[in-house]
Amino acid sequence: MLFPTLDFLLFFLVVAAALVVLERHFAAKKAMLVAASYIFYAAWDWRFCFLLAGSTAISYVAGLLIGASDDARYRRTVLTMGVALHLFILGVFKYLDFLVLSANQLARMLGLQHELPFFEVLLPVGISFFTFHGISYITDVYRGDVRMCRAPLDMALYMSFFPQLVAGPIVRAAYFLPQLERPADEPIPIAAALLLILGGMFKKVIIANYLATGLVDPVFGAPDQYGGPDLLLAAYAYAVQIYCDFSAYTDIAIALAALCGFRFPRNFNQPYRSLRLREFWQRWHMSLSFWLRDYLYKPLGGNRHGRLNTYRNLMITMLLGGIWHGAAWKFVMWGALHGGGLAVERMSQPLIGQRPASRLGAIVSWLVVFHFVCFAWIFFRAEDFTVATVFIAGFAHGWREPIQQAQPAMVALILIGFAGQFLPPRSFERAGLALARVPNWGLGMAMGLLLAAINALGPEGIAPFIYFRF
Amino acid sequence: MAAPTPSLSPRERAPLVTDAIPPSLRRHGASPRQMLAICLIGAIVLAFFASADTPGWAERLGDSWLDHRLRTITGAWDEAMETLHLTDPHERLRAAMGRALDWQWGGAGD
Repeated sequence: MLFPTLDFLLFFLVVAAALVVLERHFAAKKAMLVAASYIFYAAWDWRFCFLLAGSTAISYVAGLLIGASDDARYRRTVLTMGVALHLFILGVFKYLDFLVLSANQLARMLGLQHELPFFEVLLPVGISFFTFHGISYITDVYRGDVRMCRAPLDMALYMSFFPQLVAGPIVRAAYFLPQLERPADEPIPIAAALLLILGGMFKKVIIANYLATGLVDPVFGAPDQYGGPDLLLAAYAYAVQIYCDFSAYTDIAIALAALCGFRFPRNFNQPYRSLRLREFWQRWHMSLSFWLRDYLYKPLGGNRHGRLNTYRNLMITMLLGGIWHGAAWKFVMWGALHGGGLAVERMSQPLIGQRPASRLGAIVSWLVVFHFVCFAWIFFRAEDFTVATVFIAGFAHGWREPIQQAQPAMVALILIGFAGQFLPPRSFERAGLALARVPNWGLGMAMGLLLAAINALGPEGIAPFIYFRF
Repeated sequence: MAAPTPSLSPRERAPLVTDAIPPSLRRHGASPRQMLAICLIGAIVLAFFASADTPGWAERLGDSWLDHRLRTITGAWDEAMETLHLTDPHERLRAAMGRALDWQWGGAGD
């Protein structure tokens, strides 16, 4: 069930009606949201619900055992087992066939005849996200950052809440569980939520979908058929597409959570205006970046044990961040590029400083960071490692060939996508405050009309969000 | 097993990340009842002006009695909206987008 569909609209209207009926019954409201979340998840494949329930049970029991004990060794053992179980489930569903493939390739290289069979495991939608939620909760209870959750209902809602279930943002237990202790005493920020939904729909339905079908998919599908300008513009287009696609999902998720009476964290903050690669990671998929920082980079030692160890930790963190996206060497390369880039940037900090000192320096810095990110996206988007290298090799020729795919509408969509990156920082807040002055009936009318316009301008049929497959 | 009083670090109550919706926008809001009313008004307006897509949606449903009934209703609804010319904006916008997409460097598209 995708957000920008009639199915989801009908689903949400039922949820909204139930929220009205259960307005004064907080426990029943939470139970209804858990049931709705499982129905939402079952729309993909009902069998996945057992996995989600199992993952929830592991987190709940591990949290209780850790929270109820003051034996440091016992707590550590339970933490290790809980995290290992979560990673085992993730590994089986996401990486088993990749490991078999890699083992078979290695066996062929060594001249061995025997090949392992593939398991062809179906990848459950959003498994990485609820696994990260589970690990985050167990670790936070162990560290004392959050109280153990005694209410199974609260744990079930934390793990399954439908707005973030399949593609994030990764909501930390310490952030979300306190919201389940008592009903929110603030109104539903309706203007902000509607603005996020409209913006998200525009980014996904118009920008991301047209760029995907009109430019990115054809060029990445056969990069050897295109000259330099098409390749360059397709690389820019993918940078815009993935941002518009993913940030659209999280914007709508944030809005839906707000309509249900809950807060979600910010996940994107105009990432393509970054002047340093480190800054990019503080603005892009922030909930994952901070997760990796707090549960991987820092436990590895962070920057506490000298330069070489810091570079190593950066590289390990980004490599694992790459592999988290999928079991393929192209993601390993993407992670390695970012890990290496962050290490080089840190190494050259005495030379380049924390921030560029001049306007010219800022422009050069922006160009370098942006093009580095686009270059890494080529590996991320390409079908496989070989296609990525063909794509990159294509930049060396064909600059005089006529443009085939990157026609004016595509360039306009790229520019519109970029324009959003350079809006003044408080423009969302200002637009929200202006919208808040509109009466409720006007908000409903405007919402309906603008959604109808977006629907008319968009292509027929909606492609799934990119991050569903991670 | 006696549950000890958990000792919490000072971080527990501090938000780990920034709220996506700024506090100034949280002060202006609606009750769940008003939220439902806004969603319903939006859905009705959408049903009036985006009716062209509903028969396609109904076609993708299953094969039950209810699905067939829904197909009939959405088809009739779309025809009614067409009679009232409420589908015109949808068609004009779609045609305009089609023209924009066909536009090519150095001249009009085919």
